Amino acid sequence: MRYAAGVDVGSTQTKAVIMQDDGHEKKMIATALVDTGANVQKAGGNGFAAACKEAGIAPEQVGYVVGTGYGRYKIQFGNTQMTEISCHARGAHFLFPNTRTVIDMGGQDSKAISIGPEGNVLDFVMNDKCAAGTGRFLGNAADVLAMSLDDMGPFSLKGKNPVKITTVCTVFVESDILSYLAQGKKAEDVLSGVNLAIARRTVSLARRVPVEPAITMTGGVSRNVGMVKALEDVLGVTLQISPLAHFAGAIGAAMYALEKVNEGSEAGNGEGAHAANRGN
Amino acid sequence: MMEVLSPNIERTFDQCAELLRDLTFPTVAAWKQEHPGAKVIGYFPVYAPSEIIHACGMLPVALHGAGDGLELQHADARFGSFICSIVKSTLELAMTDRLAQMDGLLFSTICDSARNLAWVIKRNQPGIYVDFLHLPHNPNGTASHHFLVSEYRRLIGHLEELSGNKVTDEALRNSIAIYNENRRLLSRLYDFRMEHPERLRTWELYVLMRAGNFVPVETHNEWLRGVLEELPGRSGKKRDAIRVVVEGSFCEQPPLDLIKVMEEAGCTIADDDFILGRRWFNADIPVEGDPLMNMAESYQDRSVYSSVRHDFRNPRHKQLLEKVKHAKAQAVVFLTAKFCEPACFDYVLFKKELEAAKIPHLPLEFEEKAYTFDRFRMEVETFVESLLFE
Repeated sequence: MRYAAGVDVGSTQTKAVIMQDDGHEKKMIATALVDTGANVQKAGGNGFAAACKEAGIAPEQVGYVVGTGYGRYKIQFGNTQMTEISCHARGAHFLFPNTRTVIDMGGQDSKAISIGPEGNVLDFVMNDKCAAGTGRFLGNAADVLAMSLDDMGPFSLKGKNPVKITTVCTVFVESDILSYLAQGKKAEDVLSGVNLAIARRTVSLARRVPVEPAITMTGGVSRNVGMVKALEDVLGVTLQISPLAHFAGAIGAAMYALEKVNEGSEAGNGEGAHAANRGN
Repeated sequence: MMEVLSPNIERTFDQCAELLRDLTFPTVAAWKQEHPGAKVIGYFPVYAPSEIIHACGMLPVALHGAGDGLELQHADARFGSFICSIVKSTLELAMTDRLAQMDGLLFSTICDSARNLAWVIKRNQPGIYVDFLHLPHNPNGTASHHFLVSEYRRLIGHLEELSGNKVTDEALRNSIAIYNENRRLLSRLYDFRMEHPERLRTWELYVLMRAGNFVPVETHNEWLRGVLEELPGRSGKKRDAIRVVVEGSFCEQPPLDLIKVMEEAGCTIADDDFILGRRWFNADIPVEGDPLMNMAESYQDRSVYSSVRHDFRNPRHKQLLEKVKHAKAQAVVFLTAKFCEPACFDYVLFKKELEAAKIPHLPLEFEEKAYTFDRFRMEVETFVESLLFE
């Protein structure tokens, strides 16, 4: 039995996943979610330990650990690091093997990734110096409407006449929202308009890579049903969203780690192939 | 003046990097002190005829913007938000008197922004001599040679008036020979880096090359010879990396840390076009014969391709493929300045050609001013991973 782990140290939460390969099947046997907090290094260790406990295995049994996320270089116990783009692509492929495009909308950035049949990255694009289309944008809109992020999605679905938004600037959208509210527009129509504006912007970004079906959405914003609906309306297709979308990065990292464990076993050293040495 | 760099090669590169960051142009001030009454010409990239300025007894100094060292307080009020950083920061340098040591500024027809910069500076600093060299855009036939010679003659007339020196054919031939030597030395360094990238990092080659823009060419030649002597004894650690060609930074220059991030993130840069390598020509400019005609012919027929020189006889997208092949590179990284129209137009041309040849590429857009590079690092690492783990 071979075990591998992926640890995704995000800005707010750390996700860890244990993969198992019994020679016939690759299976995810444990997930763990811990708050990252101020000590990024500790968060990675805690997430990994929690996932091992959940899997009922000792950390020493894990043959290879790949770290990802913004805190990936702080994972001292890991064997190597990979970017969240590579890992999200691989994770989305694990969750939905027919995935050819990944739209990842997170708290601080949004990305579109074109992937090959094996989950390999073919092309990708990220937002640049602009928070439009990110959780941060939606958070600002929620603040102006005095609404929680969780309520925003279902509430926006009630909007029947979405308003037109002049700007997708995270700062200036506030003026638009206040202006419409002052005109007596319904909050659900305003929110629905905000979602559509963001969806159009995100799809414009995504179209810089080939947007081919099937499209899988990952990242925290995938939990916002209003945003998902707006994206589906703009794209004209249904998005694949897994309940484990939050873990896509960690899953992808664990899949890469499992490959390394298997390569190492085939090479007979039992310790996995050496990590990519990018350092100076 | 930094006549002699530190004998410690590591310190040499750090000294050069410090020189690039220093917006007081200390080497220029030192040169003026050593040459009372002598004049300095600042030239905007690229293809400036340094040989002519040198032959006139003047010091040619490249203007490469202000990097991340200057807050814009004047330039943003005079240029739209869609203008590239180097144009704005060069104007800011002029308007904050940081170009006061330059006795004249020289621009050429490389793009609309640069063309307008010349006269925006002139309008705002009426006391400074500003000249503009019209580089021919039609390479077919010899009319362009004659046109460029006439442009050189016009420039020489102005420079003679400014400096009080006469430019002779002999002086021009001497300058051409010295600059030929400079280009040969730089080419040897580029060849060494291509062969032993672990022993000469791109950021090191880059600062050494760029620092030469602030000192007399003779001094730079000494530095280059010194480094070339030291390099064979230098060791370096090989890394898991992909070999790439970096393309697109021929005028505005990326932050030095961005070049370092690219290397740290897993790119071995086998070739690049940073400030066109200051090589500008593929071969020596002939020394014998009519020097101005030799220079004009060299510009037209033997200059390094870039997005601001149009030669349909040997299209630049084909030359890029040749460059990739020669460098044994696996991929191309387009490192283009934000709002650089020539580079952005060419990206479409290059992208099509590379895709047809199945050569992967990564487009990156930079501005002079950037202090954090996490996003760049992630993009480059993902690109490297997509090739290493495919």
